[in-house]
Amino acid sequence: MKRVRRSTGGVAGRAHAIVVFTACLGLLSACRVEAPERSEAEERARTTGYRGILLEDTDPRPDFVLTDARGEAFDFRAETEGKLALLFFGYTFCPDVCPVHMASIAAVKRDLSVEEQRRMSIVFVTVDPERDTPERLREWLSNFDPSFVGLRGTEARVDSIMLGLGLPAAIRDTTAGPDYPVGHASQVIAFPPGDGFRVIYPFGTRQADWKHDLPRLLKK
Amino acid sequence: MSGLQWWCSAQTAAWTSNPRPFPGVWVLVVLLAVLHWSLRRAGGGERIQKETRAWFGGVLALWIALDWPVGALAGYLASAHMLQYLLTALVAPPLLLLGVPAGAWRRLASRARTVRALRFLTHPLIALAIFQVTLYYTHLPSVVDGLMVTPLGSFALDTLWLLGGLVFWWPVVAPVPQRPGFGYPLKMGYLFLCTLVNTLPYAFLTFGELPFYGIYELAPPVGILGPREDQQLAGLLMKVGGGLILWTAITIQFFVWFRREGEAEGPAPAA
Repeated sequence: MKRVRRSTGGVAGRAHAIVVFTACLGLLSACRVEAPERSEAEERARTTGYRGILLEDTDPRPDFVLTDARGEAFDFRAETEGKLALLFFGYTFCPDVCPVHMASIAAVKRDLSVEEQRRMSIVFVTVDPERDTPERLREWLSNFDPSFVGLRGTEARVDSIMLGLGLPAAIRDTTAGPDYPVGHASQVIAFPPGDGFRVIYPFGTRQADWKHDLPRLLKK
Repeated sequence: MSGLQWWCSAQTAAWTSNPRPFPGVWVLVVLLAVLHWSLRRAGGGERIQKETRAWFGGVLALWIALDWPVGALAGYLASAHMLQYLLTALVAPPLLLLGVPAGAWRRLASRARTVRALRFLTHPLIALAIFQVTLYYTHLPSVVDGLMVTPLGSFALDTLWLLGGLVFWWPVVAPVPQRPGFGYPLKMGYLFLCTLVNTLPYAFLTFGELPFYGIYELAPPVGILGPREDQQLAGLLMKVGGGLILWTAITIQFFVWFRREGEAEGPAPAA
C-alpha cells in the first residue's frame, strides 16, 4: 500500500510540476514584452533626425493674437520670432494628456542651458476659456514652469486657429456637468527658429524624445 | 474607461480615490486561506498558533500589495509598483514559509524526489541567482512597459516576484531540505549579499537622468510627484525599504543564533 502511494505521488508530483511549468510558460508567452512606441520614434530619428513627426516645407508659424494670463495681448508670431516655439492646445482641467505633456517639456527644459532656455517659448492655448480663467491658467502653468505662456481667446477664435493648423476643433461636452471633459488635439507643434518646417509631437512623446529633439530644433 | 478588472494593471484613465475591486486578488486570498487549512490538516491538525499568525501575515502583505489602493496606484506610480514588489517578494514569502505547519514540512521531507529537487533549486547560490535574475528582469523597462498594461501581464509580474521571493527565502526560513552547513552566520552573509546586489537597479532608478518606464512617465498624474521624482522615490524604496527588511531578517538571525549558542552552552556554573 505504501509503495503504491509513493509511486502514485511521484507520478502526480511530476504531473504537477509539468502543469505548473507549462502554465508559467503559457502565462509569459501570452504577455507581449515590448514597448512599441519606442522603436517608432527612434526609427523616425534615424530617417529624419527627429523623434517627432517632421512636416517639411510648411507655412511660417501662424499669425494670431490672443490674450495672455496677465490680460495683455500676445502676438504669437511676433513674440516667438527667432525662437523655438512649442504650441499646444489644451485645458487645465485635463486629467491626463495636458499635464503629462507640460510636465515632460518642463522637465527637459530644465536640463537645457540658460541660453537655450532663453531661445525657446512654450505656449499653451486653452480650449476651455470658460473654466480656465487667467488666474487659473497662470497658477496651473506655474506648477510646471513660470515661463510657460498661457493664452485665452473666444472658443470660436481658438477653434479657427486650430483648424488653420490642420487640427480638429475642440469638443466641449458641457452637458456632462461642471467637470465636463473637452476633446482636443493631443499633439504639441514645434516651430523651429528659422521656420520652414514643423515637428509634431503626439501624446506618447517621452522626455527622452524631447531631450533628443530640442537641442536639434534650437539649432535650426 | 476602465471597467471591472480581475487584476490591477496600468491605466490610461485618470486616478480616482473611488475603491476598485480586483476579484482575482480576493480569489488568491481565499485560495491561500484554503491552502493553509489543507496544510494544517495534512500535518495532523496540530495547534499551530504561531504558524497561523505568520501565514496570515503573509497573506495580509499580499493582499495589501495587490488590492486597492496599492495595487491600483501601481498602475500609475513607479513608487507604488516598488512598494508592491517589496511586499510581494520580500515580506510575504518568508511569512508564508514560516506559516507552514511542522507536520506539512515532515510530509514534504518524506518525499525524496521533491527534496532532491528542492535541494538544488534552493541551494543558496542558486536561490540568490534566481532571485536576482527575477529582480533585474522584472524591473527592465521593456518588461514593465510590456507586462503592466494588461491584468494578465501584471499578474505574471506579481507571480514571478512571489515565486522568486519564495525561492530566495527558502534556504533562510524553510527546515526542508536540511542544510547543516548553512548555519546562522552564512544565512546572515546570504542576506547581506542580497542587500548589495540590489544596488544596481537602485542606482539606475535613483540617479537615472530620465524616466525609464513609459507607463509611469505617461500615466495620468497622481498627486504632486512628477515622473522623475516618482522614479527616485521608487529607487529609494528599493534600497531603504528592501534594506530595512533584509537587515531586520539579519538581526533576527543574529539573535536566534545568539540564543541557540547560549542554550547549547547551558547555564553558567554557580560561583
